[in-house]
Amino acid sequence: MQETPSLRGIPFFRHLDAEERAELEELLEPASFEAGETIFEEGGPEGRLYVIISGSVEVHKSVLPGRRQHLATVAAPTVVGEMGLLTEPRAAASVEATTRIEAYGIDRDRFLELLDADSPAACKVIYEIGRTLSERMAKTDRSVAEIIARLEDNRGTADIDVFRDRLIQEWSF
Amino acid sequence: MLDEGLGRVRFFEFLTEEEREEIAEGSELVTFEAGETIIEEGAEAGSLYVLTSGRVEVKKGLPGGRDRLLAELDATNEPTVVGERGLLGGSAASATVRAASGVEAIRIPRATFRRMISEGRPAAFKLSYRIARTLARRLTRLDEEVVEAIRELERRGETDLEAFRDRLITDWAV
Repeated sequence: MQETPSLRGIPFFRHLDAEERAELEELLEPASFEAGETIFEEGGPEGRLYVIISGSVEVHKSVLPGRRQHLATVAAPTVVGEMGLLTEPRAAASVEATTRIEAYGIDRDRFLELLDADSPAACKVIYEIGRTLSERMAKTDRSVAEIIARLEDNRGTADIDVFRDRLIQEWSF
Repeated sequence: MLDEGLGRVRFFEFLTEEEREEIAEGSELVTFEAGETIIEEGAEAGSLYVLTSGRVEVKKGLPGGRDRLLAELDATNEPTVVGERGLLGGSAASATVRAASGVEAIRIPRATFRRMISEGRPAAFKLSYRIARTLARRLTRLDEEVVEAIRELERRGETDLEAFRDRLITDWAV
């Protein structure tokens, strides 16, 4: 599987035709992680994204000191580190392998070079990321509206502990 | 004419003149009277508007039937963009945008944008890259605000929840 890197069948790349996939496949660098290994460390560099082709990962964030908030468990096929393409290449959360992982890495800078050169493949991938973000933004807007309503309902008398815990639980980082 | 309008907007400066013309071809000039609704909260995802003159209010309905003013945008000196999330995603508009004076705008219809995407036109992909970056930055900033507020609440410091609320609603993406 690792000998002939292929993005075929990975939902994230489904809008690419064979030629476009081939363009990105040239950038793929095989990578593997053992269970328990850290793929991204929160606050650390996010210089590449990974296309995970087997295994599963957990996403955590240190919201409070000494307490790791579990955000998600994601199984292959999936992509992690893609936000680094659009923002500073700094991981907003930690990603850790829960099983052995087979993956392909794509270097952020090389991808951005393709994008600057108007590569249709890179453009389509960014468009897919954008659509995902747009849905996440819609969800976040609803959360923000709820927080505002809650704060305005309980002005001055808010139970801070309850409010804090709901923020931790309900905010979709 | 329309592409000149787009050229004045910082949001579109990453496009070449030719690409702006392509987008302008599928766009239209629209005007609104004071009080008219440009984007309605809850309406299905629609067009992007480049406001080239006039003022608008951005309002959000809160549970309990209340309205909250999120922002007042003034396009007099610099054009501004609303509705960019609706162009890219499928979710309904998250706030209402209403003209507070006479408003002139360039409307980029969702159908135009989607047609350009399906034709593989670089201009549309560049526009979606620009929108995605705006959304990514806003999401990152909101996440940081929320983490900061949670930590502040935990420390039992003097948490200014009203300031927190105001920071959450800055620069809402309709």
